Amino acid sequence: MEAVREQILVIAAFWGNSRLKPLRFRWSDRQIQVKDVTYEWTTEKGNSRLLHFSVTDGNTLYELSFNTDSINWILEGVETEI
Amino acid sequence: MRTILLIDMDSYFASVEQQSNPALRGKPIAVIGSGKRTVVTTASYEAREFGVKTGMNMWEAKKLCPQLILVVGNNRKYTHTCKMLNEIYSRYTSEVEAYSIDEAFLDITDSLKLFGSPLEIGSMIRKEVKERFGLNATVGIAPNKLMAKLAAELAKPDGLMYMKQKDIPAVLEKLPLDTLWGIGKKTARKLNDMGISTCGQLGRAPVSILRDHFGIIGERLKLMGMGIDSSPVMSNEETAKSVGHSMTLPHDIWDKKDIEAYMLKLSEMVGRRARRHELKGDTVTVTIRYKSFRTFTKQLKITKYLNDTHDIHKTAMEIIRSIQLRDSIRLLGVSLSGLKNSKDPAQLDLLSDHVKKESLLETADSINDRHGDSTVSWATYMTHRSRPAVISPAWRPVGVHRTNV
Repeated sequence: MEAVREQILVIAAFWGNSRLKPLRFRWSDRQIQVKDVTYEWTTEKGNSRLLHFSVTDGNTLYELSFNTDSINWILEGVETEI
Repeated sequence: MRTILLIDMDSYFASVEQQSNPALRGKPIAVIGSGKRTVVTTASYEAREFGVKTGMNMWEAKKLCPQLILVVGNNRKYTHTCKMLNEIYSRYTSEVEAYSIDEAFLDITDSLKLFGSPLEIGSMIRKEVKERFGLNATVGIAPNKLMAKLAAELAKPDGLMYMKQKDIPAVLEKLPLDTLWGIGKKTARKLNDMGISTCGQLGRAPVSILRDHFGIIGERLKLMGMGIDSSPVMSNEETAKSVGHSMTLPHDIWDKKDIEAYMLKLSEMVGRRARRHELKGDTVTVTIRYKSFRTFTKQLKITKYLNDTHDIHKTAMEIIRSIQLRDSIRLLGVSLSGLKNSKDPAQLDLLSDHVKKESLLETADSINDRHGDSTVSWATYMTHRSRPAVISPAWRPVGVHRTNV
């Protein structure tokens, strides 16, 4: 996966039992619709909790992270090829 | 009679990556480390059909399977998933032993009246793991840990096997020795030389002859051959016997300054973990692996108990200076053992310098706790930043062995 590490604008859904799901995001002037969240995991950096999501728009795989402390979304990386 | 369940995640790291990236599903993939000097950590079942195995270097693996896809592993994904899996297991019983990052023993003896038969519990767990994570788990169920592990081994991949007490003799009768957990190729060869080639034969072998050849282990071997194992599922975290860290270096080193810098980093990691768990130790052990892969350890027992980074580092460097290095170094390790609780009144040092030093360490630790490891670190180390660590076999989802990877 190619590292990107850029802050992005994300529209996400929050619902019961602390669930969160990114729905679409904007990167490099492109609107990317999340077709599927393929995997989720959590890491910690100090006291901050980062929620990670592997998402696909049907063609490309992206890794997004949400920092619950700073309330920021980061595009961590893009899978460019197999 | 007990009922023990062993859950073994199928090609765990590779399966997690195939779940994460749909384009990898059904394809031969191998998860590797991030360094230049890396090997296959897990191969998917598709890759295993070509003979790709854990521990192979990338060149070997690609030769066996030219279409093999190499995926750099993400340890935090695996450790987080392991933690979540153990939470699922804990809903069925409080007696859960996380044996490794992808295996866990459950004692479900007292859970049967709540959740149903052993097969029903095994099925429910497999189903929940599949639904939540898309991962396949193999489950082995038996009256003890040894047989539960064997049942899982025989049922793999994506299987479920319940071995009842009455089934055990027939299963073991013709089973090759090194299939049993705890009997490696070396022991199996020694037993073969004695005319013992199956578990059935091992179980019937006179204990006196086994003791003559293997010492006290001989008795244990006979019991294993009979499918007997009384070891409990260790659900409470064992008291740690040591706290240690090691790292394969990005390149082989020889220079004393480089050795000192890496030893300082390792000492900081060990000290920090010991302090976090309120432990101090009186023995420091250094591990060195040369470029030739020759590996050895040397330890020094000191007169006081410590967990201060600099004290650990000072002792580790004393050990290094006492060794005549014969080759450049590929791997370094530091561990602290002879552990005691640091809050034990007998361990308190009331000298003001020591109190100041402890206070400084506490401050650095709390900054690193708030903002992440190595936010505050030692200047000597700053030019020797390391890559993400591999997951040690000692890693566990809770307790002193739960390290940041």
